[in-house]
Amino acid sequence: MIKIRNACKCYGGIKVLEDVSIRVEKSGILGLAGPSGSGKSTLLRCLQKLETLDGGFLECNGKTGFMFQDFQLFPHMTVLENLVYAPNLNAKNVQCRQNNEKRARETLKNLGIESKMQEYPRSLSGGQKQRVALARSLMVNPDILLCDEPTSGLDVATTMDVVVMLKSVGETGVAMVIASHDLDFLTKISDRIILLKDGKIAVDMETKNHSDPVNHLKKYYA
Amino acid sequence: MIFTLQLMFGGIAIGVTLGVLLSVLRYCRICVAPVKGWVSIIRGTPLILQLSIIYFAAPTMAGIRLDMLPAGVIAFGLNSSAYVAEILRSGVESLPKGQFEAARTLGIPAFHMWKDIILPQVVRNVFPAMVNEIIALLKETTLISIIGGMDMMRRSQIIAAEQFEYFTPLCIAGAYYYCLVLFIEFIGRRIERRMVNDKNS
Repeated sequence: MIKIRNACKCYGGIKVLEDVSIRVEKSGILGLAGPSGSGKSTLLRCLQKLETLDGGFLECNGKTGFMFQDFQLFPHMTVLENLVYAPNLNAKNVQCRQNNEKRARETLKNLGIESKMQEYPRSLSGGQKQRVALARSLMVNPDILLCDEPTSGLDVATTMDVVVMLKSVGETGVAMVIASHDLDFLTKISDRIILLKDGKIAVDMETKNHSDPVNHLKKYYA
Repeated sequence: MIFTLQLMFGGIAIGVTLGVLLSVLRYCRICVAPVKGWVSIIRGTPLILQLSIIYFAAPTMAGIRLDMLPAGVIAFGLNSSAYVAEILRSGVESLPKGQFEAARTLGIPAFHMWKDIILPQVVRNVFPAMVNEIIALLKETTLISIIGGMDMMRRSQIIAAEQFEYFTPLCIAGAYYYCLVLFIEFIGRRIERRMVNDKNS
């Protein structure tokens, strides 16, 4: 599904990714952990083709959806418009548009924010924006969902909601790559965690193989 | 006053059209250097010089003889285009890079991205600056007198010279301009308020 071989990326002479190789064969949730500046967001952006690698090889089979750390909802559109705008561009007739709207309503309902459909992003809380961002990225029917710091700035209760929400998306067969520095969150949600440090892979582990994965990962932070 | 308004509306119509075109060329990376050069030259030279070149030098250089009104409209329009292009550039640059990236990740084509995602936000952001540009252009139309244009300012000067009474005609001209500026500000504020209400609704 995802093949990354010897990936290298530099910004202004500073190596952000150095010789990173990852292979993901089956769907599931892959967590990318690491301190700030370790290269996890860059790797995610390379997977979405928002950045290009300076060296190495990257292949991502399937359609990708992307959730931004700061949501990047379109502020002049309502929640519903945010969801249906892109799919409607490819809609051939009114029927397709109605189907898109129906799907958007269902997605919002599943995420518990159907009542906010006609509101603008500025009137939503952080958690609600996060849900809208997730709903919007799901509207492109992604095979792989890439999430950049989905819990950043959220309180504990909302973080738990995000865990439930993303797990339910994962259960529908969508593969996920989630970049986060929140080890508690990542260990709760991921099947596999890769810890990046200074642009290199420091740990690559299956979560179920460790009784205390958070402490195991914390050792590599120092 | 009609002559002044014709100059202002004609100038701003050309200025906005050309300014948008220059911005599109710049962001589509077509003719970036000529666009930058144009903006630099227009902003770097006095408007009075540009007006003089179009009215006095164009007939000898290119054999084009323009009347005062078209010459004025073209000069003010070309001058305004550089400022409008810069206003739009600042508006586009004030948007988060993520808005472009979000559009890309959703597979929105460039044309639709600009039309429906970027420009509506840019217009809101730059609207006050655009109103300023219109007001500045209105006041700059007084330069038309250097090519013999009979606008409000020139007329007041002529009346003043004929009657050896400067204060009253100049005050009346000033009041006319001030009222026009107040009217533009009033319309601008109403549109701006409407845009904010739309955004908040």
